[in-house]
Amino acid sequence: MARYQITETDIPFAREFLAQPIGYHSPGLQRVLNRMRGADWEFKYVLVVEERYARWRLGRLAKKRGAKVEMVDDVTYTDLLEAERDIFKRRWKDLVGQDVETLLSQSS
Amino acid sequence: MLPIVGYTNKLTVEPGETLDVMVSSFGAKSYRADFRQIIQGDTNPEGPGYKDKLVALDLGSDRPALEKPFRPGSCVIVPGLDALPPIKDFTVAAVVKPTLLDGRMRSVLSLPGFAAIGIDENDQLTGVAGGHALVTSTQLSINHWHIVSLSYCAATQNLALSVAKDLDGASEPSLPEIVTVKAEVPPGNPTECIFGASRESDGELAGFFDGKIDRPAFFDTALAPNTLRHLLTDLSQLRRQRSLLGAWDFSLKMTTQTICDVSPFLLHGQIHNAPARAMTGWLWKGQELDWKLRPDLYSAIHFHSTDMYDAGWEVDFSVTIPDDLKSGVYSVRLVPDGDEDAAYYCVFAVRPPRDRASGNTVAFLFPTCSYMAYANHRLGMDVPGTEIGMGRAVELDRHHMFLQDNPGIGLSVYETHDDETGVFHSSRLRPIVDLQPKVKSFLGGYGSNIWQFNADTHILGWLDAIDQDYDVITDEDMHEDGLRLLQRYNVILTGTHPEYYTGNMIEAMQGFTDRGGRLMYLGGNGFYWVVSFNEDMPGIMECRRSEAGIRPWEPGHGQFYHGFTGEYGGLWRRNGRPPNHLCGVGMTSQGFDISEPYVVSPEASDPRAAFIFDGVDGTRIGGFGLAGGGAAGLEVDRADQAQGTPEHALVLASSTRHTDIYLMTPEDLLDPTPDWSGTQADIIRADLTFFETIGGGAVFSTGSIAWAGSMAWNGYDNHIARMTKNVLRRFDDKTAFEYPRR
Repeated sequence: MARYQITETDIPFAREFLAQPIGYHSPGLQRVLNRMRGADWEFKYVLVVEERYARWRLGRLAKKRGAKVEMVDDVTYTDLLEAERDIFKRRWKDLVGQDVETLLSQSS
Repeated sequence: MLPIVGYTNKLTVEPGETLDVMVSSFGAKSYRADFRQIIQGDTNPEGPGYKDKLVALDLGSDRPALEKPFRPGSCVIVPGLDALPPIKDFTVAAVVKPTLLDGRMRSVLSLPGFAAIGIDENDQLTGVAGGHALVTSTQLSINHWHIVSLSYCAATQNLALSVAKDLDGASEPSLPEIVTVKAEVPPGNPTECIFGASRESDGELAGFFDGKIDRPAFFDTALAPNTLRHLLTDLSQLRRQRSLLGAWDFSLKMTTQTICDVSPFLLHGQIHNAPARAMTGWLWKGQELDWKLRPDLYSAIHFHSTDMYDAGWEVDFSVTIPDDLKSGVYSVRLVPDGDEDAAYYCVFAVRPPRDRASGNTVAFLFPTCSYMAYANHRLGMDVPGTEIGMGRAVELDRHHMFLQDNPGIGLSVYETHDDETGVFHSSRLRPIVDLQPKVKSFLGGYGSNIWQFNADTHILGWLDAIDQDYDVITDEDMHEDGLRLLQRYNVILTGTHPEYYTGNMIEAMQGFTDRGGRLMYLGGNGFYWVVSFNEDMPGIMECRRSEAGIRPWEPGHGQFYHGFTGEYGGLWRRNGRPPNHLCGVGMTSQGFDISEPYVVSPEASDPRAAFIFDGVDGTRIGGFGLAGGGAAGLEVDRADQAQGTPEHALVLASSTRHTDIYLMTPEDLLDPTPDWSGTQADIIRADLTFFETIGGGAVFSTGSIAWAGSMAWNGYDNHIARMTKNVLRRFDDKTAFEYPRR
């Protein structure tokens, strides 16, 4: 379904996102996020609330209605922005096949 | 997870009235209940703090928590077949269009203990009678109608199962497939007939069908398939057939639960769990789009295994509301096994007495229609695009995890059934796990991220903080009592997102402001969708999302008119009642990431609006808040004279940019071009709007869901809260507003 494919050329948008995960984004970053957050997944990363406004666990939500939410072992967040950054990095790895932090260090 | 959940039989009660409470365990062994007024439900540490008040009302001591199941799935049940003589020869038949074939065995029609027609795990038609089973080689299709029948002739011992697939694109009917077996089927005396399900040996309904069934019929002779096709085509002729035992014309009494037998035996039945009626039938080919004009073409019922009307749990206990309890939002709180943190809140309104006014001049309108529309919604779980609209990852709170584990609780009108057709109905006769304080949501913006009821408690908390006496009235009260109820008040305050309105409600509110009432619309995307109640089914609501609007599904061709009332479904804007008439603004865009301030406009300096800005300085207002960090956001409305905004309305302030997650509504996006987004299109804005009505009344509209999240900022001590209070105080002064003559 998704026509746009994220590649290494999108690395400036990764830098932009990691600096400000929520709020105004450039059109290029928005396109990257649309690809990451759209329907073209067998599962979605979700934040399972452990303590409201304080602690979240990373989960994987399958497409099928009623499927069990699979918890990702040992991944807990106490800050939503950090959670967003971590999910972004995981999706980058899934889609591009490379570690985004390595690419960022190479391109800086 | 939720170890205990419950619901009450009403969402609005008056003092002296009795409320039934139904409770089920999902892990709890016991529970105790107490009675609390809900003041402020947001637990965000940045917010004003959670607040409720215990009401001294003895609800008893510990009770055992019993497990009670959800039993979704709709069908038709026709009792009393044992009034017929014993059945020897017979034909049972129906015209069916499955809409989901997924390997589950399903029942098309069933005469328990005697005969049945179903679909097997290979999508093939099955017929069973007298212990003999037949299967067609034809696989049924979700794209076509099929005439199906099972017949038996005792003289020849011929048991025959037939399926004829009607190919819409073909000029004439295809030949039926008939499979037969020589069998001895003893005479039977079935007690009931079930369409769309079967009954298990324990008495429970099972094998629910997802799809449409039209004109099922029952004969005391074996009929050849071609004869049957001829007979079924014309129900008026069919009723004269001497072999007829029953023929059920679903196009009769469509607004009720009653199913009519057009045979002389009058074996009438009832629907179960509110399947969709007034649906296009076998013979609908686009001849008419309004079922009221050609009901005969709307002879199908669309059944779903996910339909839910009344959970039907046994009553755990009842509460009589004290005569002196002041009107407000209350809850029966259920505490499982002494664990307060796991408490479940059954929320409802205590309205003022029906027979006398409370004396309060201010009312908060508790938007039960909108709560029901969103009841148990699964937008963050079922709709991948929700994360794009939120601009961040979906949070799953405990009640979401419960919904994921218990889809049988029934869906909201934001979901599709498993066959991907829209959910038309939502009921309050089941637990509504998102109608609770404290719960987080998907759409509430970065910050508190709360929605509908919990977001509305920002307004209740503010009323409490400013020591304002108020009544709470609900959408259902307004629908039933109309202006008789509203006329008691100087001011009515809405919630943050009063999106769903019945015709009665629109008329009552318009009548209120026309006659001098004052409306404070403290939300966004209000008065948007047409919904209907059903006089034969209390507690359920219908919404058919026709033509336009931001919507998760369409009702299907020819099915735009509500089955409950015959009203044309969709937007009030397309039904001669645009929200702009009522409140000066109408839905223009949505995004669920961050919110913005309003920029004050030159019209704000008009003396007519001076009272609103008393003590409020600056050119930008609302650059703070719990709902996305601004007062303008989430869902926003614009003033637009072309859509009915009064010409004298003052647009006091507007948001001037939003993120590019905010896009145009479909009804305004006639020609999609890539410039209709929040950073580019001026039309994407919230307009803070004020106008007087000709009867001395007035309307103040925020055009933004996020407004109340700013009211609650800094412990309600901020200029948004101050402006809101300025408006409330002037609106509560009966001195007539002067209608400007231009």
